[in-house]
Amino acid sequence: MLISLVRIVRSMAEEIAVGQERASGVNPIHISARDVTVSFGSVTALDGFTADIPRGIVGLLGPNGAGKSTLIKASLGLLVLDRGTISVGGLDPQTQSLQIRDFIGYMPEHDCLIPSINAVELVSYLGMISGMVSRDAIQRSHEMLDFVGIGEERYRPIKSYSTGMKQKVKLAQAIVHDPKLLFLDEPTSGMDPQGREEMLSLVTKMASSEKTIVVSSHILEDLERICDYAVIIDNGKLVRSGEMTTLLAGEEGVRSLTVRGSEQALSGYVRALEQVCQIVDRKDEAGEFTLLIRGCEDGKKVLRLAAENGVQVRSFRPERLDLEEVFLRAFRGGGRDGH
Amino acid sequence: MGINPIEYHPWKGERTAVNLRLYVIFRSVFRHKLSSIGVIVLMVLGFMLVHTFSLFTIILVSHDKLEGSDMTSYLGSGLFTVLSILLAAVVTSDLISEDLANRSFVLYFSRALKVRDYLVGKAAGALLVMSLFCVIPPVLIASVSIATQTGSDYGHSFEVLGETVLVGALMTLFFVPFGLMISSFTRRKSYAAVGTFMAFFGLTVVVEIFSQFSRGWRVISPIDSLSILFKWLYEGQVPSYVDKTALLLIVASLIIVPAVIVYFRMTREVVGK
Repeated sequence: MLISLVRIVRSMAEEIAVGQERASGVNPIHISARDVTVSFGSVTALDGFTADIPRGIVGLLGPNGAGKSTLIKASLGLLVLDRGTISVGGLDPQTQSLQIRDFIGYMPEHDCLIPSINAVELVSYLGMISGMVSRDAIQRSHEMLDFVGIGEERYRPIKSYSTGMKQKVKLAQAIVHDPKLLFLDEPTSGMDPQGREEMLSLVTKMASSEKTIVVSSHILEDLERICDYAVIIDNGKLVRSGEMTTLLAGEEGVRSLTVRGSEQALSGYVRALEQVCQIVDRKDEAGEFTLLIRGCEDGKKVLRLAAENGVQVRSFRPERLDLEEVFLRAFRGGGRDGH
Repeated sequence: MGINPIEYHPWKGERTAVNLRLYVIFRSVFRHKLSSIGVIVLMVLGFMLVHTFSLFTIILVSHDKLEGSDMTSYLGSGLFTVLSILLAAVVTSDLISEDLANRSFVLYFSRALKVRDYLVGKAAGALLVMSLFCVIPPVLIASVSIATQTGSDYGHSFEVLGETVLVGALMTLFFVPFGLMISSFTRRKSYAAVGTFMAFFGLTVVVEIFSQFSRGWRVISPIDSLSILFKWLYEGQVPSYVDKTALLLIVASLIIVPAVIVYFRMTREVVGK
């Protein structure tokens, strides 16, 4: 009798309630924060943070305690802002948090899975809490577990999974309800190189289905590979943001020159070069000199002086940074416009 | 990954209403608890020691009508209350503590789910399990007693049946908020279970000490206060040393205060502020 009662209530719940159409009209999904301040007691986690996070794959960078998780929580509407406003897909998390969360998926950094149940149970359960009817949730959980690469292991209790498998299950639960905006907090944390590769490939595949994916990671190499845009935070403030291509492009007019030669020849060459261009930076790596120079764009003088001083030019190209360098420069305050 | 792994594709379904998502949690708790060894063992033990025994004594003895005093001696006995406390301790112990231990709150609250709905879902699942022991058997026994009565005063019998529903509901409700509160204080379900039982047991010990000075202290013990309350409901009389207002206040506060505390604890845990 009880079971049939439960069934009746369940079918009523499913039938009556299929109402809330996915928040439509919220495209394009992007986050806009204006002067956002959030503090926990005496600690200010976000301090007048202002930034726009556009559509695509966006890297969220910053040291521990920079305010990344607070920004994510604030975007989910889990925090009360002390000051400022956040808009997620045109909605206000302070007043419309439930609507927002229906189109957000969140993959937390820390271990958060329920160890005693298997992956199918967990993902379908969370799918139902996200508003899917049970039939849809079970079918979709199988599909998403297959998508992330969890095979027959999906029927094993989660406590028996490796770190990499747990990461994949966390991703599956975040995408089971087909969110338009995904927050991935350290998605490759604890994964071996092959697992990392698979995870990055999954993120790229998902991005092609019109999603905004915000990836927070300490592995800058990963972010550099997959992100279209980067936001760097420190002490709750925006330090730098921009298109990845712009950030990595280096400063206009600055070129990187790598030369090789005897110590005497190199020092003579550097002295001669200083007469015609400005040397911004220099590095001595394993017998090769890498110089950042400004003011010698055409390269004729550079090559002529190298020939005169008996120095071999290994490369001469516009400056190109990696994300680590962008990150370090941001914290040194050595950034230049657009970086 | 399968031989032909499924690629990502959008989901085209429609979402259920936000307010009804607590039902998913309720159903999960109920199913999980019904397959829990601890719950099954306690249910079987309780059915044998409390309900089956009472079924025989009430039905086999020839009776004119269903008497409130019969139900008082059945449900007002300490054994029914102690087993209810034990069951509540086992049922509620892991409901919040495991989510704390697994840090899985974030999985719930990154979705469109309110703290209130989360708690109501968990509590409703626990209450339904508790009602399997506290409401349904007493109501069945009372019904069987009415069916086998020799007299014709069914009005009185049905009145007692109604009181039995009330008593069962009160017993179902009484321990769950407290159990949830204790469960929200720890990450270990064993601590939560022992804590819930010992908190009530501790009150009983305190009462034993203070009741030597004044018997009015008995209302602080949940076992005594429920027993007195049931007697009041069934027979309309309360021992002279009991202050009725104090009795109602204590019973109400043991339900409401833990419910409020657990709500605020959860809100704080989720928001972290």
